[in-house]
Amino acid sequence: MKRDHQETIGNKAESSSSSMDTGKGKSWFEDDQDAGGGMDELLAVLGYKIKSSDMADVAQKLEQLEMVLGSEDGISHLASDTVHYNPSDLSGWVQSMLSEFNNLPSTDFDSSILLSSNRDSLLGQPSAITSLDFSRNSQSKVFTDDSEYDLRAIPGVAAFPQQEFDRSNDRKRVKLTPIGSDTAPAPAVNSLQSPTASSTSTSSPQAMAVSGTLSGPTRPVVLMDSQETGVRLVHTLLACAKETQEENLELADALVKRIGLLAASQTGAMRKVATYFAEALARRIYKISPQDYCLDSSCLDTLEMHFYETCPYLKFAHFTANQAILEAFADASRVHVIDFGLKQGMQWPALMQALALRPGGPPAFRLTGIGPPQPDNTDALQQVGWKLAQLARTIGVEFQFRGFVANSLADLDAEMLGLLPPEVEAVAVNSVFELHRLLARPGGIDKVLGSIKAMRPKIVTVVEQEANHNSPVFLDRFTEALHYYSSLFDSLEGSGMIPRSQDLVMSELYLGRHICNVVACEGADRVERHEALAQWRTRLDSAGFDPVHLGSNAFKQASMLLALFAGGDGYRVEENNGCLMLGWHTRPLIATSAWRLAAGDSQQ
Amino acid sequence: MEGNVKEKRPRFCVNDHVDILMEILKRLDGRSLCVSACVCRLWCTIARNDSLWEHLCFRHASPPPSSGVRPVIVALGGYKRLYMVCVRPVLSRLGRLRIAGDSDRDRRVWTRDGVQLSLSLFCVDYYERLGRLGGGGDASGGSSLMFLCKPVNV
Repeated sequence: MKRDHQETIGNKAESSSSSMDTGKGKSWFEDDQDAGGGMDELLAVLGYKIKSSDMADVAQKLEQLEMVLGSEDGISHLASDTVHYNPSDLSGWVQSMLSEFNNLPSTDFDSSILLSSNRDSLLGQPSAITSLDFSRNSQSKVFTDDSEYDLRAIPGVAAFPQQEFDRSNDRKRVKLTPIGSDTAPAPAVNSLQSPTASSTSTSSPQAMAVSGTLSGPTRPVVLMDSQETGVRLVHTLLACAKETQEENLELADALVKRIGLLAASQTGAMRKVATYFAEALARRIYKISPQDYCLDSSCLDTLEMHFYETCPYLKFAHFTANQAILEAFADASRVHVIDFGLKQGMQWPALMQALALRPGGPPAFRLTGIGPPQPDNTDALQQVGWKLAQLARTIGVEFQFRGFVANSLADLDAEMLGLLPPEVEAVAVNSVFELHRLLARPGGIDKVLGSIKAMRPKIVTVVEQEANHNSPVFLDRFTEALHYYSSLFDSLEGSGMIPRSQDLVMSELYLGRHICNVVACEGADRVERHEALAQWRTRLDSAGFDPVHLGSNAFKQASMLLALFAGGDGYRVEENNGCLMLGWHTRPLIATSAWRLAAGDSQQ
Repeated sequence: MEGNVKEKRPRFCVNDHVDILMEILKRLDGRSLCVSACVCRLWCTIARNDSLWEHLCFRHASPPPSSGVRPVIVALGGYKRLYMVCVRPVLSRLGRLRIAGDSDRDRRVWTRDGVQLSLSLFCVDYYERLGRLGGGGDASGGSSLMFLCKPVNV
């Protein structure tokens, strides 16, 4: 039974499908357990009688046995002095074998470490190997690993076990390998050298008391129960983020590689989310400035178009905002909409059509679109304006367009826009996913809110992501973003549509850019500073705006729109104090709100 | 249409009476209307008549849309396109959610909101086609109404 130990151990680390805790392990077996007197049915078919309740124990002992048998000494003993036991009572057999071995004078497990080189394969996973009782081993070094399935692992697992070495912790498992397996010398930070032999022997009896945890099959298996890997994946992501926050970059680097490996065993949304987050973390760790990647606006526009096509979020945003604007413009004969982020102008055809079919006839419609400078100096805004003008001519709406190129909304003033007095034209300000960018620079948002007030709008519509990705603590931001984008990717996956897969990929790329920005950028570059509705409410309230309730029309239209999407049952429209939120199952993802100048606010 | 007729009875061919034909075709559902357009050239020409499709689109709408709608729709591409691109998918998907009982999906009454939504989506579709015709798009460019066009896995 000579084996390549390093490989075995490496594989074992990967193949361990240990349970989260004993409770879960048992439940796994309870599924197998049918009537039969508590005997495990599957093994009974093979001729082994084991009680299901003993399975964990037996498995553990089998591993120990394997370790022992793996050494030459054990084998030779067996060869010379054989007593054959009946293995069908597996637990008894294992027990007797082990006790035999433990009594052997010649068993010498002179084991040395391993694992410092494989530390990344073991981090965040419980080691599947238990120790043996070998009280007189003088040169052994041990590697300890924590099971990570409870949240203790997040602070604990990355912190290397050096300081935990002597802690008596019955969840700790100790791994041994015989000398002779090739081990790489341990690098400084993550060294797992055992201090001395004495501590080894004191720790080993404790390690023996490891409570039954489920160990995997003894054959190397790469794929595991993917639900457990999923949990492991999340834990590893969080652990990596924590390490990045604390600047333990080597450790974080190892964890990032691990994430890649774990992500490969997942499918679907989880895999993609993990991949994007891992990439963003890697960028952060290696300090690769992702500026071009995250901030290139023309590329983002194209990706956003695909995002618009595949899922309802942007459409929801546009339709609900339009409804609010329409209601505010009910009697006006000249209307002016200021769009803080014109992009492709997808919001305005629907509004123009609704205005065209207004009972009293269409008003004169003026649109001011604001956009970032294009890298190739094309006038993207004018092109959009031209298209909208064509549409307006077709449906018979008097139309005027003006475009403003600005790096940031804070660069604009109300005077630049050439607004007519409110008696003459009704003004609406529309911001879809634009306001949060202003939080990147101090004072930006206040200046813009002031400008908005100076425009004296009849209505201000704000659509923002419903998440707090602007916490000053990186780990909080990371955790929040992980949950948010997981839901978002889930909804893309679960929408059940079969668009050309290219569109789906583009939408995911689009979201991936956002993830990259939230995780990898800092300071003025980090523009995706999403904040939750409650925070925006406070901010707008204190800036002098009053909320306007979005009516039931908006709600009905939104619900109908969502019903059209094939995954319609997953999406939910909720009303929250007059604001509408679109979410996936229970998680709200974007929120539309409408505002007007506070009554009694002095005219400027 | 033709048959073994006795000399005494005058032959009746519906193709000679286009107005009757139109009245008949007006009452068909969308699929049948499309099929009827494949029967012969005359029927094809008649089926292209937009008023048939207008009737099809809105005959179950309550309240019926105002007359001002027509020029807009015609300008945006016509009722036939409206039906094919927006109304049919919208009706069928919204209909799925209602109580079963009606086999004919066109019998569903739909509200002003539904009409409004269809019109909005139709307008968006026109706008996107503008973009593509303007030399900006590839022939297989995406459409924001794709979510309506794709087969629904019911």
